[in-house]
Amino acid sequence: MVDHVLRLKLALLASAFRPGVALARTIGVLLLAGGVGTGVIWLSTQVDVSLETHRAALVIVATAVSIGIAVAPLSAGLGSALEPRRFAAFPIAPRELALALGIAAAIGLPAVLAALLGISLERAWAGEPSAVAAVAAAVLGAISIVIVSQYLVVVGDQLSVSTAARRTVTAIARTVIVVALASAVVTVAVVVVDSSDSATQQLVATAGVLANTPMGMLWAAPGSELAPMVARLVAGLVMVAVLALGWGVIVARLLESPQRTRADIARSSLGWFDLVPATPSGVIAARSLLYWTRDPRYRFVLLGLPLAPVIMMLAFAVAGAPLPPLWLLPLPVLALFLGWFSHNDVAYDHSAVWLHVAAPFRGSADRWGRAVPPLILGVPIILALSPLLALWSGVDDVLPALIGTSIGLLLTGLGVSSVSSAIGAYPAARPGAGPFDQPPSLEARAGWSQALSLLAIIAFMAPTLLLVWWGLSDAQWFTVAGIAGIATGVGMLVLGIAAGGRAFRRRAPELLDLMLRT
Amino acid sequence: MSKPTARPTAKKPRAKRPAAPPPPPPVVLTVSGLSKSFGQSRAVADVDLEVRKGSIFGFVGPNGAGKTTTLSMVTGLLRPDTGTVVVAGADVWRDPTTAKRSIGVLPDRMRLFDRLTGAQMLYYCGVLHGLDRETARSRTDDLAVALGLDGSLDRPVRDYSIGMVKKVSLAAALIHSPAVLVLDEPFESVDPVSTAQAVELLRRFAAAGGTVVLSSHNMNLVERVCDAVAVIVGGRILASGTLDEVRGAQSLEERFVELAGGRVAVEGLEWLTTFSD
Repeated sequence: MVDHVLRLKLALLASAFRPGVALARTIGVLLLAGGVGTGVIWLSTQVDVSLETHRAALVIVATAVSIGIAVAPLSAGLGSALEPRRFAAFPIAPRELALALGIAAAIGLPAVLAALLGISLERAWAGEPSAVAAVAAAVLGAISIVIVSQYLVVVGDQLSVSTAARRTVTAIARTVIVVALASAVVTVAVVVVDSSDSATQQLVATAGVLANTPMGMLWAAPGSELAPMVARLVAGLVMVAVLALGWGVIVARLLESPQRTRADIARSSLGWFDLVPATPSGVIAARSLLYWTRDPRYRFVLLGLPLAPVIMMLAFAVAGAPLPPLWLLPLPVLALFLGWFSHNDVAYDHSAVWLHVAAPFRGSADRWGRAVPPLILGVPIILALSPLLALWSGVDDVLPALIGTSIGLLLTGLGVSSVSSAIGAYPAARPGAGPFDQPPSLEARAGWSQALSLLAIIAFMAPTLLLVWWGLSDAQWFTVAGIAGIATGVGMLVLGIAAGGRAFRRRAPELLDLMLRT
Repeated sequence: MSKPTARPTAKKPRAKRPAAPPPPPPVVLTVSGLSKSFGQSRAVADVDLEVRKGSIFGFVGPNGAGKTTTLSMVTGLLRPDTGTVVVAGADVWRDPTTAKRSIGVLPDRMRLFDRLTGAQMLYYCGVLHGLDRETARSRTDDLAVALGLDGSLDRPVRDYSIGMVKKVSLAAALIHSPAVLVLDEPFESVDPVSTAQAVELLRRFAAAGGTVVLSSHNMNLVERVCDAVAVIVGGRILASGTLDEVRGAQSLEERFVELAGGRVAVEGLEWLTTFSD
């Protein structure tokens, strides 16, 4: 029995190398795993366990990497071909199946990585008095990673009752991996770059917390005093035993209990529509997202937005402007254009907007729905990049101002766009046109609409920009500017959507008429 | 297929017993004094219509007679210069939100959000009209079966043929079970089997108390399906009433051609009869 399951597992692994689309993915995964494995081994040769900082960092990195490895199988989003329930129809004793699946799990990329992690723990402690403890901790740790990842696959399979749920599980798993790897990298970076006392204390405190959790206790065992070391190893042994016994019980339960009925077996998935609330603003947001991702006319922005700031920075650099403070410019500019881009959104629907005209929902629902894609695109970009750009700019305490101004520009832009796309609509490139196609006729109002909406955004944000200017000479204004920017943004978004919604309802037939005439 | 003949004949016994005439069904759609000009040309001039509950009302006219313009104004898609439209007690142009709840629309020659799949499209329309998730999904499935769309619902609407687009649009108009359906050329480019399916659906809808207004060029179809007719030519209603009142002793097609200006004698095309071989 066991060798059948193992042969199946090997066949599954081999199938990943068959030529085709999947091969590219396999190579990508292998490169990532190879990078992680090499990194872990390399770190083990560099770490000096006589240093407190290094010991702490070792615990943090090992815990983070082990979480990443355990979650990895879920992130593939394929479900497991070796999920216990798939064997329910075969006459296999549950115990035997549990054993077979457990051994099969020990073959594969996660298990190899877990083994590498264990080996690097041993290498790090080699030659030290607690080397024996390290070997025990490494073995138990690697085994527990493999078993936990089996549990997670089963749990993930139970949660994946619909396509949307499966995608969510995959997305969460990928996020966990990225966060885990990022925290490992950050920890190493801190050890290398920052040797100050406060940094050391932070690391030691974090490692101390992790050492008392099931995830970190084994990795912390070799570096502990004798009593806690024994306690951690025993706890680890108990954990592995419980996990292993529990695995047998779970496999037996799964084989007996019927499969959860999947609500969407007969029904197709509706994509974004499954993820948003069933309200007019929800479905309009979903439709808008779908167009932002599929329609070439929107893709133009997605391509152009990151390029514009880069080109701007290059131009400044060539002109010989002082570079570091200029790093403050790209984000606000990107936010401004992202908010402004929607100023003619209705025209992109062309005559399909009749569906909105003929339906009895509030105009503000239409406006909210259209504001969603730029918001979920823009806000994370701003929050993620502003610390980095604030750092590069070399201007002290500028972070709140950078975040506030960028968010303010984005939200104010969306508020202004809500109004302008209702009252200042002009013909746009038709549905199905390419990203660089021009509309059939460009009237003078197109220019007016573009210029006025851009001016309006800057005018509404002028007080905030003034505060930022003051902040360049007196840094305490930066915080005020940040608050002012966000307040302006939220206020203008709410006002703009209310006013735009009313205008849209009032002018809906005229908008449709404009679309039909072009 | 017995219904269309059953309706006109049912009126004969009614006429013979004037003592107890059943009250006519209430009027659900009233159009009065509706006019629209585009620049100098008067597209629709002073149109009055009354449509009763439970009827299938045919709106016929030659090309460019103002059918689409009138129906667009009735459904709230095109603002009239003058006149009022009242649907189920609500004025379409004074109280659009209430009125639009009772109207299902299939406009002619307007786009759909064609990157959505058929299923997404129907769900979208359902939710925009206030349906909850489950209702929107189950009605999508029901309509797909009733109109022969199942199997195509997972494809984007932009890959549909014109007839398929008409069918998905009809489903979208029906999904919120409106009191009044306004269909502009619903059967253009639709194959005979699908037309029969859709007609059956509309008959059931009307028998249950729904009201249908449809425009068409196909006089046979209108004669077969509708129980009341209005003929519009040059923006004016030339005849309106029950099918029998409008067509009299003629067929609807003969009556229509007569109203629309009669057969013009074909002259001056002699070259068409002298073949070049």
